[in-house]
Amino acid sequence: MMKRNVLNFRNTVLFRCLALVLTVMTCMACIPSQVFAAGEQTVTIRVCSWEEYIDLGDWDEEELIELESDEIIGIRPMVDEFEEWYYETYGIRVKVDYSTFGTNEDLYNMLKIGDVYDLVCPSEYMVMKLMAEEKLVPLSDAFFDEEDENNYYSRMVSPFIKEIFDEQKINGESWSRYMAGYMWGITGILYNPEEVTREEASSWKILTDPKFRRRITLKDNVRDSYFAALGALKADLLTSEEFRNDPEYPRRLEEEMNDISPETIAEVEEFLKEAKDNAYSFETESGKADMITGKAVANLQWSGDGVYTIDQAEEEDFELEFTVPEEATNIYFDGWVMLKSGVEGHSDRQHACEAFINYISRPDNVIRNMYYVGYTSVIAGNEEDTRIFEYADWSFGAEEDEEDTIDYNVGYFFSGDEEDEDYVITASSEQLYKQLFSQYPDAGALARSSIMVCFDDAANERINQMWINIRCMSIEDVPPGIWAVILIAAAACILLLIRRRIRS
Amino acid sequence: MKFSRKALGIPYYIFLLVFVAAPLAVIIVYAFTNGQGHFTAVNFIGFFTDPNTLGTLCYSLAIAIVTTVVCLLIAYPTAYILANSNIKAKAVILMIIIMPMWINFSLRVTALKEVLSVLEGNLAFYPFFNTVLGMTYDFLPFMILPIYNTLSKLDGSLLEAAADLGAGKASSFIKITLPLSLPGIVSGVTMVFLPSMTNYVILDMLYNSTYIMGSLIGSYFSANNWHAGSMIALILLLIIGLFSLFTGSLTDDAAESKGGALL
Repeated sequence: MMKRNVLNFRNTVLFRCLALVLTVMTCMACIPSQVFAAGEQTVTIRVCSWEEYIDLGDWDEEELIELESDEIIGIRPMVDEFEEWYYETYGIRVKVDYSTFGTNEDLYNMLKIGDVYDLVCPSEYMVMKLMAEEKLVPLSDAFFDEEDENNYYSRMVSPFIKEIFDEQKINGESWSRYMAGYMWGITGILYNPEEVTREEASSWKILTDPKFRRRITLKDNVRDSYFAALGALKADLLTSEEFRNDPEYPRRLEEEMNDISPETIAEVEEFLKEAKDNAYSFETESGKADMITGKAVANLQWSGDGVYTIDQAEEEDFELEFTVPEEATNIYFDGWVMLKSGVEGHSDRQHACEAFINYISRPDNVIRNMYYVGYTSVIAGNEEDTRIFEYADWSFGAEEDEEDTIDYNVGYFFSGDEEDEDYVITASSEQLYKQLFSQYPDAGALARSSIMVCFDDAANERINQMWINIRCMSIEDVPPGIWAVILIAAAACILLLIRRRIRS
Repeated sequence: MKFSRKALGIPYYIFLLVFVAAPLAVIIVYAFTNGQGHFTAVNFIGFFTDPNTLGTLCYSLAIAIVTTVVCLLIAYPTAYILANSNIKAKAVILMIIIMPMWINFSLRVTALKEVLSVLEGNLAFYPFFNTVLGMTYDFLPFMILPIYNTLSKLDGSLLEAAADLGAGKASSFIKITLPLSLPGIVSGVTMVFLPSMTNYVILDMLYNSTYIMGSLIGSYFSANNWHAGSMIALILLLIIGLFSLFTGSLTDDAAESKGGALL
């Protein structure tokens, strides 16, 4: 009797506590954040981007970037400065809830389980997926109005980037309607010129070259590895004169580099298994340090991280170079998109989101972010505002007394004209394989660049399965040593059990 | 209302409900459903028919077994010496064992990586060895401390009695010390074996590019296949449950033999 009372008591208290917790949680979720700032009319936007992908300020004084037309330094976090700028410009208080994600897939999963964001910055293929699933809100017409002084993005985005964003379509709508670019880059090989020749680094076949056994790193993600494998497998076709001179070359290249037929996937699997046996590691971050310490002599690398690693190596008097294989390179973009789940029906939030994109596209802010992050912004500036070009020249241009120099034309990016004399950087000739090339690859390298599209679910499943096949040990391949260990352990357990039975 | 001592457990029950029961229920639901939310046994059958899952299970088991055995072989003598040393030395040795635990494990493994790089030249050639070494390094204190605990509480009069009755050092160790320290060994083994089957961070940091169970679950999740991932997690849980039952029965054994060994 006593016992039952206790049980009842426990149950009721348990229930009350639970009910209380649940009520409090529901109440908190129901109160919109605006209520706390009643009267002030604060708009809150929830922004989610990559880690370390926006200037947090706090630079040393000697980090001041002295350009001809401006001096730039990051003192405070850009997000804080945006909040002030927005109030000064539009008279509305805005609060930015800034958070970060680790991978595109993580972001997608976060959205899937119900996290709500207004503005996110995934890579192009994730944008394509979100577009296809109709989860995005298009940028407003006002955003594209080039008459508006504050529309820095539309006024200053590189024509090279704009063309790609206009041409690429999902469901008949071009990317540019939904996505405002942020940073872009290409994949290539970062290598140690003392150990690896330029010829060797100029082919994706280096990944299986036994000469560099266990001294070359791969990316721990299926898309980059898949692209590299395709490049190596199709090397003969991709480098043939006939293919190169085909008037349809860009379209055919994109087709070949997005080949997901079952036969190709099987071939890629074989290639990557070989590459795995030849690799030092699969990495996302550690490859940079391993290149600088010399543990690895070559790695599959993104151009932005290439710049960073070459910089770091130089500080230690160590030489590294970056190049793009002859076959093809993957061009990728990270871009800002607005999500329906956050923005739809809230024009004030949409306005603040678009203003945020414009604010970080203002050339001085672009330079700060580029300096801080190391990647290349999609923003180029225009004739009136050439600060971004000046910054490139400031970073990579040769000293006046330098002799061995080249004229490096980046007109394709800044004005859309490959021959534009206004956008020539006179740089030391080694920059052809160093930071300048990594930051602004030359037109020749970009001619053989291809985007990698977002595959449909069935293809993704096959490719992910392929990746698991590569990374896992198949039961057929389990070496005898491992079987022996397991069998001995199992036998020992059984013996112990039997012994116990006999004893009792 | 009369206050019952059991009411003190309420916070624990809430914790249990929210952080153990609820997630477990979610895992079970995901494991037995497909993308459309219908019941399916595909994931369950898949686990036992997919050569990769089985191979990975073998690989993880092998790593866990070898790690546990190596830990035990190092930990037992250490704990024994520790338990039998004088107070001053005890404090120093205990400090040496516990101190690495004050440092974050990723730092420790990074340091180990650098040491191994120097010793081996290129650590990518010895993935299995490095992994076992890394895990042993990381989990060793979890084996030493429970064994030390049981050994230090060992009743010295039993050993004296054994000596009086003519037992040599070896036989009194085998007949008395070892059986009585079994509970410590069991809890040490449990604490080392289970995490070393799934702790893939150590593998990643030491550049072992072959998946173990933990990384396989992770890869299914990042590939948006939460169902297959949950099934693997669930089956691992069952394996771990069976293992605990087994080791639990050994402890009962030890409790019984406490009397038996003296007779």
